[in-house]
Amino acid sequence: MTETRQEQSRHWLALQSPGSDSSRGCRIESVGVKLPAQRLTTRDLMSRTSHRTHIQLERLTGIHERRVVGPGENSFTLAAGAARDCLSHSQHRASDIQMLINTSITRSKGRFSQSYEPPLSLYVKQAIGATQAVNLDLSNACAGMLTGVFLLQDLITRGEIDCGMVVSGEYISNLSWNAAKQIRSLFSKQLASLTLGDAGAAVIVERAPGGSGIDVIGFTTLAEHSRLCLAFPSTVGPGSQMYTKSRTLHRVAIGDVAVLAAEAIGQAGIDVADIDYLIPHQTSARAIRAGSKEFVRRFGARPKHVVVNLEEYGNTSSTTLFVALHKYLEEQRIRKGDRVMLLALASGIEIGIAIFTVDSMVDRYGNTH
Amino acid sequence: MGTHIEAACVLTRRGLRKATARGLADAAARACFAQAGRQPGDVDMLINVGIYREDNMGEPALAALIQEDIGANLGEPPVGAHGTFSFDLLNGTCGVISAIQLESGLLRSGVIRLGAIVTSDVDPDAGSHEAAVLRPAGGAMLLGWDDSITGFTDFHTETFPEYADMYTSGLVWRGRRGIRFPQQGAGRHQLVIDEKPGYHARLADCAEEATRNFLRRLGMDMADVDLLVPAPSVPRFVDTLRERLGMPGDRVAYTPEDLEGTHTTGPIAAVQAAVRSGRLGEAGNMLVLAAGAGITVALALYRQTPA
Repeated sequence: MTETRQEQSRHWLALQSPGSDSSRGCRIESVGVKLPAQRLTTRDLMSRTSHRTHIQLERLTGIHERRVVGPGENSFTLAAGAARDCLSHSQHRASDIQMLINTSITRSKGRFSQSYEPPLSLYVKQAIGATQAVNLDLSNACAGMLTGVFLLQDLITRGEIDCGMVVSGEYISNLSWNAAKQIRSLFSKQLASLTLGDAGAAVIVERAPGGSGIDVIGFTTLAEHSRLCLAFPSTVGPGSQMYTKSRTLHRVAIGDVAVLAAEAIGQAGIDVADIDYLIPHQTSARAIRAGSKEFVRRFGARPKHVVVNLEEYGNTSSTTLFVALHKYLEEQRIRKGDRVMLLALASGIEIGIAIFTVDSMVDRYGNTH
Repeated sequence: MGTHIEAACVLTRRGLRKATARGLADAAARACFAQAGRQPGDVDMLINVGIYREDNMGEPALAALIQEDIGANLGEPPVGAHGTFSFDLLNGTCGVISAIQLESGLLRSGVIRLGAIVTSDVDPDAGSHEAAVLRPAGGAMLLGWDDSITGFTDFHTETFPEYADMYTSGLVWRGRRGIRFPQQGAGRHQLVIDEKPGYHARLADCAEEATRNFLRRLGMDMADVDLLVPAPSVPRFVDTLRERLGMPGDRVAYTPEDLEGTHTTGPIAAVQAAVRSGRLGEAGNMLVLAAGAGITVALALYRQTPA
């Protein structure tokens, strides 16, 4: 295969944009989730810490409750459940999926609290019957799912594949339980672990004739801040422990996100005010409000709606963007023609931005579905 | 015109100093940039495909730490310059070939101009696995765009999930038994690698079948392959596969014995062996192959014919 290679102008972001003259676009075709039935309120979690912390976590983060796994559930079952839900909203069958990327940070399955080989994606594709799909796992902290979409976009716009799925299952609430055994005060580096909730999410990305769909998608890694959030296997219980310098992480991210968003918005040829829904990574309501203010300060405008679903689900790590998108689709708040910006922010520091226009996908969600 | 290999470099632990996955990957990456006459700041995308680490760190992607260590575009670049995007890809011993496929596409699209693939493995619980041995090693490869050669053209990945349980690995929680002092943990996570008898033979079976399927798809046969570059997945794998495919020994790039069992680094070790033997320069069609857990077999065709 020899093709003409297009030299693209340089950006801070590794940036993909089909452009108006492109014959091959890429679009988000469907989104699915798997949420465990069991709920854990912040009040209940904080009542079970080993030490009296005096932390008003709900007031601080806006998280009222989160979902937590029940018996028999783990990262794999959440991922497979989300993949099935995604297919139920899709016009594709499992056999249409040509590449399947699993992006779970937590990869619990069977006796393994963290599975390494074979990749979880192999088991997911077997579970849903996508047997001919090429599969691989990637790990990019909470930016994993959008990283997967970034990679599929290139494969699809070049015509190498027509349809791919990104999936993630996060059984991450055990970090909360491990933190609850040790945390003593508001200044603990494990504070962010108390915000986590379990969820699975999946997204199907497909070729869109005429270049419609994803207007722009880009990523970069601010590696000078790579050590602001680190997770290692725990010694207090199964699963991991995460240590985060939350304030520094948010301060750095909020400053740089505005610059990077300007790059992506400029490439898409739109204004901030043209964005109907901004779906940012869900960490805390306070951090999201601070980020929105920075948008106004820099652009003199803000997206029409900023999505926050922390109250119900907490921070579901790599799945947050698509759990939120799915909820808004099911509630029929997002309508055909709306422009959505997904903003991934993750340990690394990884920043990823995707801007896309919602199309007929909305017809397959909500009460009418 | 196509994606070409600018440099490939592998390092193993030397001396008594304890190897770390990050240290090996950093050193391999620096050596690779030096070999190519490139600067770390030139790289647009850095993919780490290593899996096993002494500390089993789960977050962030190890690639971000490697990016920081080698100093590749750490923060906001000057106007008109570019940043670096880093992440980890996990596909066992086939990870390098998966990463080549992804970066090759992004080079073709012009989204990136220089891609790095970095890998390393260190066994956090060396000696506790009965069958499998992870040899500490790190590797790096740089991929660029060359208008004068065809480069990487085709890829093939095939899985044989009926053999998925023949090689499994992961962390298992081991609770501490008996009396526990206040500062002691409640337990620890141990790396468990479970390799079933017959795995090596099945790897060769699957690798042969996938290779023949790939060549059939391309309308080629083994006679069209000038150089087979197989990752030394397990002992005697290369010889077994060569015999199955009917490939003469002088058309196979043999990795030195000290690089056998280097796991995710294997494909880079094989490419390095091909370069050092001088046969890479002579080969028109080179077939890079890796086989590992899944069972997964990945292949990449590298053509040095003029574009």
